[in-house]
Amino acid sequence: MSERMSILAPRQVIRRLGAGGGLGGGFSRRGLLAGAGAAGLGLLAGCQTGDRVATSPQADGRLESMLNVYSWGDYDDPDVLDAWSGAHGVKLQVDAYGSNEELIAKLAAARGTSGYDVVVPTGLRVPDMAEHGLIQKLDLSLIPNIEHMDPNFLGQDFDPHNDYSVCKAWGTTGFVYDTTVVDRELTSWQDFIDVAQAEADGTTMLLEDPWELVSIALGALGYDLNTVDEKELDEAAEIVVEQLAPTARAYLGNANTAMAQGGFVLMQAYNGDARQGIMEAEDPDRWKFVFPTPTANLWMDNWCLATGAPNPDAAHAFIDYIIGPDQALAQVDYIGYHTGSSVLADPAVEDEFDYPEIVFPPQEVLDRLVASEFNSGQQRRVEIFTDAQARSGA
Amino acid sequence: MSTTHTGGRTRSYGGQKRARLRNTLFAVWGAIVFVFLFTPIAVIVAYSFNSGRVLARWSGFGFGAYVNAVNNDIIVSSVVTSLQAAVGAALLSTILGTVGGIALARARGGAWWALGLTGVLVFTLVTPEIVDGIAFLPWFVTLGVDAGLTPFSNGMVRLVVSHAMFSMAIVTFIVRARMAGVDTSLEEAAGDLGASPWQAFRDVTLPIAAPGVLAGALMSFTLSLDNTILSSFVQQPGYTPWPVYIFASVRVALRPEVAAMSTIMLLLTLFALGVVGYVLRRSGSSSTEIIKTMAG
Amino acid sequence: MRRLAARVLGPGALAFPTWAYVVFFFVVPVSLVLFYSFGHKPDEYTTVATDQLSFDRYGEVFSGAVLSTLLASLRISIVGTLLCLAISIPFTYWLATKVSPERRGLMLALVMVPFWTNFLVRTLGWQIMLSPDGFLSDWMQALGVLAAPLDILYTRSAVQIGVVYNYLPLMILPLFVAMDTAGVRLREASYDLGAGRISTFFRVTMPLAMPGVISGCVLVFVPLTGDYITASVLGGASGSMIGQIIANQFNTAQNWALGSAMAVSLMAVTLLVVAVAGLLLWAGRALFHRLTRVQLEGVPA
Repeated sequence: MSERMSILAPRQVIRRLGAGGGLGGGFSRRGLLAGAGAAGLGLLAGCQTGDRVATSPQADGRLESMLNVYSWGDYDDPDVLDAWSGAHGVKLQVDAYGSNEELIAKLAAARGTSGYDVVVPTGLRVPDMAEHGLIQKLDLSLIPNIEHMDPNFLGQDFDPHNDYSVCKAWGTTGFVYDTTVVDRELTSWQDFIDVAQAEADGTTMLLEDPWELVSIALGALGYDLNTVDEKELDEAAEIVVEQLAPTARAYLGNANTAMAQGGFVLMQAYNGDARQGIMEAEDPDRWKFVFPTPTANLWMDNWCLATGAPNPDAAHAFIDYIIGPDQALAQVDYIGYHTGSSVLADPAVEDEFDYPEIVFPPQEVLDRLVASEFNSGQQRRVEIFTDAQARSGA
Repeated sequence: MSTTHTGGRTRSYGGQKRARLRNTLFAVWGAIVFVFLFTPIAVIVAYSFNSGRVLARWSGFGFGAYVNAVNNDIIVSSVVTSLQAAVGAALLSTILGTVGGIALARARGGAWWALGLTGVLVFTLVTPEIVDGIAFLPWFVTLGVDAGLTPFSNGMVRLVVSHAMFSMAIVTFIVRARMAGVDTSLEEAAGDLGASPWQAFRDVTLPIAAPGVLAGALMSFTLSLDNTILSSFVQQPGYTPWPVYIFASVRVALRPEVAAMSTIMLLLTLFALGVVGYVLRRSGSSSTEIIKTMAG
Repeated sequence: MRRLAARVLGPGALAFPTWAYVVFFFVVPVSLVLFYSFGHKPDEYTTVATDQLSFDRYGEVFSGAVLSTLLASLRISIVGTLLCLAISIPFTYWLATKVSPERRGLMLALVMVPFWTNFLVRTLGWQIMLSPDGFLSDWMQALGVLAAPLDILYTRSAVQIGVVYNYLPLMILPLFVAMDTAGVRLREASYDLGAGRISTFFRVTMPLAMPGVISGCVLVFVPLTGDYITASVLGGASGSMIGQIIANQFNTAQNWALGSAMAVSLMAVTLLVVAVAGLLLWAGRALFHRLTRVQLEGVPA
């Protein structure tokens, strides 16, 4: 049995995705909310008296002529999208957001009149979005291709019966380094911090995301990445602000951009972005991606149906199409993240991709990952992030 | 009339030599400034022919980015959104700015409303754009959601209203400057000849104000088309304007399509400007005057 | 009857729509921001609460991290404004006095072309140019000008270059208008009266161009101080500006109270700098006039 097969983590490992998933902040691709999911929910809470939500049109079997998708930027293969919209004569409009908070704020403010049909929140936000009526139940009978999803990536804790969500992609966080400058073998977050202060001083890129940034220090200290313990967070703050921030060259949302520009030796990165950067580099062998020990974030983004979606038939048809087995390889190859399709469970599939080991983390890595949570420690994380940025500029 | 003053005085031979050197130095400085102004634009135009997937990583010459850009519905619709918002904002701010500017130019000295209006408009000009953005966001939410004025939940309305606010002061001041030297007796004469106030306004005042109005409208259109900060705050689903699309893709991965579409838009803007310049020139204004009117 | 109509439709009434618009879409929302800035963020799920009003948010702004970024931004914007001025004065002087009037229009239009090109796209042009693996870096290394790859992107210098570039046309236009207004004839009169070239520049051209200098500086300084796009494209870790931190409070941290307090502080500081600069200018001019006053014989001072 190939190493690939082992990726199919025991259910409970992947389950942990349910507990969390995105994190995010600022301009990063997937962030936890910086204290924030709130825009949306806050708005909702603020207007509880007038908390009416527009009624959602029911699917009636006739495909509408429009479909509005609201997703993370550049998250689908344009050829796949074009093929669907061309085949069905549906005008497909895809808008992009940069964090779950941004998505939630928009949906909550619109109360069912946003005009969006399909949205792609990270798992940890699915339960509260459902609870606050931002997303509605899917009609799984209209999504027969769900059969072709790997069962390991269905029925997560955040949505045990897939009432609201179907896996879009999942991934983890690690780092990339330039082996021509750093000739040691790096394996842990502590190595990351050490190198950032030595070989990569002034050439380190950190993710523009409070949760991810603080997780470097928490990981190195051996604490729970989702900790809300003030003392632990203070210790992490000390490391982030005094050891990492002074050596950082930039806080960016995407390591791929950093690799294209050059000048970076060490970059914190989501696995799919790192793979894209390595693939497009002139000298790919120069770069190495690490799944750092002791642990890192594990997130899953999901296809969901927005409340009040004006085009429910097109939305279901689109989700059904895009999770279909024929699209899986193109999608994974384009975005560099595992989409949860059972097609990918076939070990032979590895040969279809460059750098499969980055797309498909080995079992021992999956075993140690944790899903990020949106919790009461978030506000402190945002403060640490702000302090770090100010320290870098000092 | 001599265009330079070098010949204006009798100079010694050495003085002429120094004058020539000085003129050369000035011309060199002018050239350097132009190179500075155009290099980044030339870079973007050059990189729009990049056949690779990432803008900054040159991988070969090709027209692929242009084909992809015009076939990319998302890019095209964001450009269309931007153009629509710019037209709307230009219309709204030009109407309000024109009446405001004429009123200010006609105000008796010391009228409280004129001083107040001038003060507030100056204040809008010195307010950092980000403050406008964060002021508009909660206000639109309050209006649209709490007060039930649903148009304010519409992305296009938000863009037009906020952009118009942003450029109204500029239109007002340009029109006021244009009208400042014009004698009110012209309108009075029209009144004496039997024209109603509206006719006098339409047939006498407006034509005088026209160059200022046109310059203001053009300025307002451009500011709206270029607006990123304000738009990124008030932007609503389905109405992503072009600069916000670019800003969002900067965070992810910038593709050569962005450069290709920018080049197309640059050419269109140059063309439109040429047409406007031609029309204005035929209507008798010199280009320097046009620019001076625009700059207020 | 006509008189009455004229009075009703008088300038005050004509200004009403403009007034109403400004009040409804500027005064009210900006006052709301001011109000929010005295509030607080009660929990993760609420952006702002105004049940207890205090100055605590301002305390947070004027301490530690935020203050140092604010000061760094001010430095960038003051240096940027002065650089724009230094570049523009000889340039507009050349344009207004040395270039033939027929070509002046074309040249001015050329100055405006970047201004008509998307702000972000222009900045991205710089990002490509300044990147260590970019063509400029490669060429300079090939020519032997640089020993190592270009090391400017993601530094404060990159932001400085970017903002000077982005706001330069806003300085050139008003300055040109003012220089042009100063006119050839006044300068010639000055020469005829025996003043030297330098003396004419400082005592005739510059004083007449002063309104242009002032409006140019305000037009550049104010938006530059609040800019966060140039810094987020070119600035990296060491070149961040206050605008980015404010935007983060609204987009990410969802702390409207703190974000509003930061925004109000930014505005206050911006206006303060403008006021101080105005005062210095006024004092400087008074002094200059005193020192250079021409005492004509036989005429009482």
